[in-house]
Amino acid sequence: MANSDVVTNKPERHPAVIREGLVQQIVKQFFSYLPIVLWATFTIFGMLWIVVTSFKTNRELYSSVWALPAVIQFQNYIKAWAVVKLGNYLINSIFVVFISVGVILIVSAPIAYVLTRIKFFGSELLSQFFTAGMGIPYQILLIPLFGMFAAWHWADSLPGLIVVYVSLSIPFTVYLLTGFFASLPVELEEAAALDGASPFQTFTTVMVPLASPGLLTVAIFNFIGLWNEYMLAMIFITTESKRTLSLGLYSLQGSMQYTGDWVGLFAGIVMVMIPTAVLFIFLSDKMISGITLGGVK
Amino acid sequence: MLTKDRRKLIIPFMAPGLILYLLFFIYPALQGIYTSLFDWSGFGLPKKFIGLLNYQQLITDDRFITALKTTLFILLIGGFCVFVIALSFTALLNSGIAGKKFFRAVLFFPNVVAPIALTTFWSMIYNGRFGVLNSFLIAIGLKSLILPWTDPDHILGAVTIALIWLYTGYFMVILLAGADKIPQEIYDAARVDGANSLQVFIQITLPLMWDIVGIALVLWMITAIKQFEFIYAFGSGIQVNPATWTLPIYLVIEGFGMRDPVFRLGYASAIGVVILVIIVVFATLLRRFLRRDVTQF
Repeated sequence: MANSDVVTNKPERHPAVIREGLVQQIVKQFFSYLPIVLWATFTIFGMLWIVVTSFKTNRELYSSVWALPAVIQFQNYIKAWAVVKLGNYLINSIFVVFISVGVILIVSAPIAYVLTRIKFFGSELLSQFFTAGMGIPYQILLIPLFGMFAAWHWADSLPGLIVVYVSLSIPFTVYLLTGFFASLPVELEEAAALDGASPFQTFTTVMVPLASPGLLTVAIFNFIGLWNEYMLAMIFITTESKRTLSLGLYSLQGSMQYTGDWVGLFAGIVMVMIPTAVLFIFLSDKMISGITLGGVK
Repeated sequence: MLTKDRRKLIIPFMAPGLILYLLFFIYPALQGIYTSLFDWSGFGLPKKFIGLLNYQQLITDDRFITALKTTLFILLIGGFCVFVIALSFTALLNSGIAGKKFFRAVLFFPNVVAPIALTTFWSMIYNGRFGVLNSFLIAIGLKSLILPWTDPDHILGAVTIALIWLYTGYFMVILLAGADKIPQEIYDAARVDGANSLQVFIQITLPLMWDIVGIALVLWMITAIKQFEFIYAFGSGIQVNPATWTLPIYLVIEGFGMRDPVFRLGYASAIGVVILVIIVVFATLLRRFLRRDVTQF
């Protein structure tokens, strides 16, 4: 795991700095902080503003984008849920994303285990073969993949979308997991093998529990990526009732210039934001260490 | 003994993921390259081999050239801004200031939010009628700076600013993890020698984290060239002026008949090959330029 939190950075003050004078120091500190404080303020207010707007009326939004709502409009959510069918899209998203993330882990973790723990002819090459997938822009394979799915009648179905999500997530997941597995000690596995555990048992009872922090991190990453994804869904799903939440909101946004129901859109946007935001608030340390899992060891 | 026993795992552990990867990733990717040599106007219709004619046509296609320029603009100009800002923030947060974890979390946060939510937020900022930016400019008396931000002339800059806002936090987290790995003693020695914070960062931190900077640049390159969802949702994709179409957007529009019900499958595949070539070229160049000794601690 990344060790960003292990090293505490408290530089000792050099005598020269102290001589500079307190006022000067404060002024200097203020200006070095200023850009990042403004940046963070903008981001926080921006995100809060989305939530606040989702409780306004359209008229309030048009008359002033800043003002708080006079009355909190919960019906924006009720309308978004029922009339715009976002509730339906939400259920589709939950179905697709949860199964996808589960299958991604089930197929990727064994690969990462074999690639890090067993040396065999071509294992190095196979590792690189999986990693190469991260550099392939997957727009290049959309047309043949869609053609294949259309011919097999897999297009426009949620299980079909799951197959797409799983297949395209394998390179990234294997890459992160091999990095993580390689950092784990082998002694426990050896001990289990000496105790007579079969290789498969060793994997499920020793490696999986030991690797659970890494598996969780990778699961969160895939969850967030797929939850927010709409390009693949847009291509592979054509029936309205099969849309995922992200795709549904994309379509809703597209019709804004005709309907003008901005606050309804904002209510939907808050709905799509909540799961990933909650994950981040509780697990931000785990995620932040996760993006450095593969590269920064 | 352990290894020999475990070899039995290789095939059952590799097979499911490898089959999915080969069948739904590698095979269609190769098929995509092959398809670029054909004139093919719809799934189920016959293909006609035309050699490199699609590529020849690309060179004279104004929309393609614009999309290529847009992609390169985001990659180079956007990338320059992202890295300058992310490195400055890294220098600041690595110097031992308070609130490091807080700023890191806030700046990273937009990366877990659905692109569709972020683009709605930004389109409200730039909206000419009731947008936050213009009403802010009026409020502080800078009426002369008001611009129609989503006009063809300004939208690429406007979108790029939003992308810089989004990705700076992401790359700052990676860079910060690299900077944090450097042992504190090295800084202490430099400070005793009388170097100021900026000198310390440029002369010590940056060279010592050069390998991480390299990884971050490669990641940015892939992210920038694949750019689709954020921009496509910005003002609802196809309705927006082609000034913001990136290569992946142009591919999807041509290939899946998003604008007119015309499917140009071979032509779109050729765009995919161009994207792949750009990634390979930039990856090779970056590797050349960044080849330096990796610092181990």
